[in-house]
Amino acid sequence: MTQAQISREEIDAVLPTVSATIADALGCDVDEVTPDASLIDDLDAESIDFLDMVFRLERAFKVKIPRGKIVENARGALTEAEFEQNGIVTDVGLKQLRDYLSEVPADRFKTPTKVKDIPRLFTTTTFAKLVIAAQRESGVKA
Amino acid sequence: MADHFAAFSFVDRITEYEPGRRARGRYAIPPRIAAFPSCLVAEAVGQLAAWVSMAHIGFRGRPVAALANETRFLAEARPGDTLDLAVDVESCDDEAVAYGGRAMVDGNDAIELVDCLGPMLPVEDFDSPQAMAARFELILGEGAPPGRFGGVRPPTVVRTGGERGVSATASLSVPESAPFFRDHFPRRPVFPATLLLDAQIRFALELAGEAAHWAAGTRPLPSRMTHVKMRAFIPPGAMLEIGAELGPPSGSMATVRLSARMDDKTVATARLEVVAKET
Repeated sequence: MTQAQISREEIDAVLPTVSATIADALGCDVDEVTPDASLIDDLDAESIDFLDMVFRLERAFKVKIPRGKIVENARGALTEAEFEQNGIVTDVGLKQLRDYLSEVPADRFKTPTKVKDIPRLFTTTTFAKLVIAAQRESGVKA
Repeated sequence: MADHFAAFSFVDRITEYEPGRRARGRYAIPPRIAAFPSCLVAEAVGQLAAWVSMAHIGFRGRPVAALANETRFLAEARPGDTLDLAVDVESCDDEAVAYGGRAMVDGNDAIELVDCLGPMLPVEDFDSPQAMAARFELILGEGAPPGRFGGVRPPTVVRTGGERGVSATASLSVPESAPFFRDHFPRRPVFPATLLLDAQIRFALELAGEAAHWAAGTRPLPSRMTHVKMRAFIPPGAMLEIGAELGPPSGSMATVRLSARMDDKTVATARLEVVAKET
């Protein structure tokens, strides 16, 4: 997924539905689901919620989002060994991660970053970008 | 093990089968048991979907905890009835199965499940993959002998607080032992989500029945359940705190928000729509 090529306009087009869908999945007020909200740290999402959100977004946008491959996709062209060592994201991996998650405020990237903590970085906008990537994949226009 | 595939297994036979896609099956509710709650009818539909999905991935994984976007309660099933089960699997892989389905009694819909999702976990953590595969061959072929389910006793629920007709909390004691734990599951006993939901529905109906809103001669009954989400496994002997909040009624309908907590962590959430019907 080349998230860097996703425009602000594309994100704004899907964000209201993405936010409403996430709010429905988490049982929270849609006002809490801000574009920068960390789904785990701010909205208390758990792994089952991620599955739920993806499931609902697939229905809302009629696309197929590869479940469980978000972290794998974040690795981009890097090999697993290049991206992480002993569960810690390498320097080159962290640069790739920052590029991939360009919507995430810089101060949320910790050094060192544990691979298992990568989902903590995901925001509402991250999921909006996933939807857009899936739309492009399936040829559906936003 | 006498209770394995008996004490909490609700598919006797698969009558039509398209691998990885859809199936139809049957379950004969034993006539001697006291009741067969609607949640167990939903369990039967879910189990048929589980068989299709497990077979599709070679019994490496099984769906355990669940998300059910919508369950429609259409009619009750009674002891002695035969459930005709049908499931359509939308997608299935090593990570999750997405499906919908229904159960019918005498040609009439009893329950419908819409947009359900079951995360897959390793079968071997819960049961013998070989035993599961052999059971699948049995129900796909000649079928399993019916009538082996002995019923379940509802867990003890003791009200602890709340405001009459508005909200309520209660403690729910999961039994330390019960036959269903030896079927659900032999290697890791888990309190079935559908039994928790059944207890929560009873609790919600008690709360809703206290509201003064309903017309004379009517009482609220479950219409549909939405946003069912199981977040954790509930072991034998667990003590849960369940909660119910009745939303403002609209006409003859109202929604009850349900929750269950264990060790200060939310383990299950759901919403129950109730509709007042003449008694």
